[in-house]
Amino acid sequence: MNYIIDIFLIALSAAVINNFVLYYFVGICPFIGVSRRVDMAFGMGCAVTFVISIAAFLSWTITTMVLIPGAPLSSFIAGFFVSKEAAATIDLTVLSYIVYIFSISSSVQFVEMYVRKFFPALYKSFGVFLPLITTNCAILFACLTIMSNVAGVENPADAWDLGRSLTLALFGGLGFTIAIVIMSGIREDLDLCDVPEPFKGAAITLVVGGILALAFMGFTGVDSGLRKAITPGGEVAMEISVEQVQTAMIEPNLHQQIRGIND
Amino acid sequence: MADQPTATERFLQGILPENPVYRQLLGLCPTLAVTNGMKPAITMACSVAFVLVCANVVISLLRNLLKPHLRIVIFTLTIATFVTIADRVLAAYLYQMSKTLGPYIPLIIVNCLIICRCEVCASKQGPFVAASDALGQSLGFGLALASIAAVRELLGTGGLFGYQLLPAAWPDWVIMVLPPGAFITLGLLLGLVNWYSARKSGGSI
Amino acid sequence: MKAILRTNLGQAWLVLLLALIFGMSLAGVQAALGPKIEENKLKETLEKVPVVILGQQAADELTAKGETLVITPNTVAVEKGPVTKYYTLYKADFKDGTPAGWVAKTKGQGYADKIELLVGMDADAGKVTGLFILDQKETPGLGNKIVEDAWRAQYGNKDTATPFKVVKLATGGVNEIDAISGATISSKAVTKLVNQAVSDLKPQVAQLKDSDGKGVQ
Repeated sequence: MNYIIDIFLIALSAAVINNFVLYYFVGICPFIGVSRRVDMAFGMGCAVTFVISIAAFLSWTITTMVLIPGAPLSSFIAGFFVSKEAAATIDLTVLSYIVYIFSISSSVQFVEMYVRKFFPALYKSFGVFLPLITTNCAILFACLTIMSNVAGVENPADAWDLGRSLTLALFGGLGFTIAIVIMSGIREDLDLCDVPEPFKGAAITLVVGGILALAFMGFTGVDSGLRKAITPGGEVAMEISVEQVQTAMIEPNLHQQIRGIND
Repeated sequence: MADQPTATERFLQGILPENPVYRQLLGLCPTLAVTNGMKPAITMACSVAFVLVCANVVISLLRNLLKPHLRIVIFTLTIATFVTIADRVLAAYLYQMSKTLGPYIPLIIVNCLIICRCEVCASKQGPFVAASDALGQSLGFGLALASIAAVRELLGTGGLFGYQLLPAAWPDWVIMVLPPGAFITLGLLLGLVNWYSARKSGGSI
Repeated sequence: MKAILRTNLGQAWLVLLLALIFGMSLAGVQAALGPKIEENKLKETLEKVPVVILGQQAADELTAKGETLVITPNTVAVEKGPVTKYYTLYKADFKDGTPAGWVAKTKGQGYADKIELLVGMDADAGKVTGLFILDQKETPGLGNKIVEDAWRAQYGNKDTATPFKVVKLATGGVNEIDAISGATISSKAVTKLVNQAVSDLKPQVAQLKDSDGKGVQ
């Protein structure tokens, strides 16, 4: 139950509170470029959500298995050359950016081929956006966020598991879709408005985006309030500390399992 | 390829006529994200300049070896390497700044500006032209970033580079240093640039 | 990647060669700068330890005399029912071996994002000596006032017997913290982190102190 609450809050935070586009400014290029019509925007959003989930899965797996110090695969391979203790300290995180960008571009290509072959209808609706996605910052951003929550934590017990990482990616993509679809809806109407000549196109889109961001700012702090409301024994737990509730949310048996995976 | 622009032309074009932010709308992600103060904006501009110059020169040296279908892979590989170097150097010598910029330094990898310059200029012309093109573009990018950051920091905190400039009675427009301020400032400045250039070229408003 | 696999080596040699060269140069960069980055990460915390325990003035005097505190990091696990919470607890001693105090590093949810802070306690964990905010992304102009000296000073030299309590308009009661106007949530978040760290670590400090004493004897 507590794990579910944690997942729920990560999802909410990624989708609306800290929206990828309107709070972190990632994925601005398609936000400005492809948001002319609602159906196109929705297609783009779906494509991004799809790819972002795959990239998140890949980057979580690679980070935990290969890159971080003491990762199973890298220490196994290094174990042949150096002592076991030395192998457990090998830190390959310096390569993470290269690895992520490659896993993104390869998964984009792979998804494109797969979708074209097996789901021609789907390909027709959003396949055209797929090649554009490689340079969409939102995907690399999701990978980086996952990395900082896996490799950047001080205690191994706080590291994100696969479920949390996938939730972040999936709902981050959903947040991107929400933002871009709202934007395209506004722009369809904006075409009928008398916008001053110099502001036509990108300039007015950015100003409208600013107003949208202003609206989304209203969600800030909702997560800590919600956490308080839905945590069993909310008020009391809140009195102790937010952090403790967060840690305590992992149920004992699940916690064991997660540790089992990480070990 | 007789009429490729020369080095000087490339350099000058990058600064204003083909300004990456105001004209080509490239690299908007860092433009919006790190312009809440002059210091992060300048650091970001320098990092982008470093990556752009290095990547452009390397790609330009390799241009005759590039295979069409593999060129994007090579671009990405080169850019990612130089971004990692920039990231490490920042973490070693400007630790606080690298913490402030956070994920936006690695996000330079997917900055369309760099890949676009590699494609448009470096993969066709020599290293000297490519380097001057990169310098011009990054100067233009830096100017754009600085202009947005100046507006946002001045209105948002009443000062520049952390020094108070406006009278103390100035009610800080906090919204300017928050996300919405970024969108609105860039939108208005973009409109201003469009208006100015339309007037200059004698077009009717 | 798929494309590379499908094309033969004759086409992909450049990619492979570049990957090798770049990989090697990155390894070089990491070997040269890695220790410095690690040092930066540590220094960020260690530099603040004397200030948090002794106060800015005394810490400056100490540095002026050319002395430093001897700082030993400990990882402390606190059992909390089903889960274990980990703290980094720094033990600080004067040069002559007299204990100066303890500093705990803790992290928790604020209004906008996680807040990471240092809590200083005196040698017996009887008093909170100070507070330093390492990392925060609270609203500029409102929540980010938690980093200001005047507000943080409220945590200086306070008894740990009573937990801190955030009130709007402090009346001078025991361990009352004046909420920042417009940022009650940020103020409360910081206070809760401090309270939790103190209550968790008080027994731990006593334990560590005892074991250290035995070690010396």
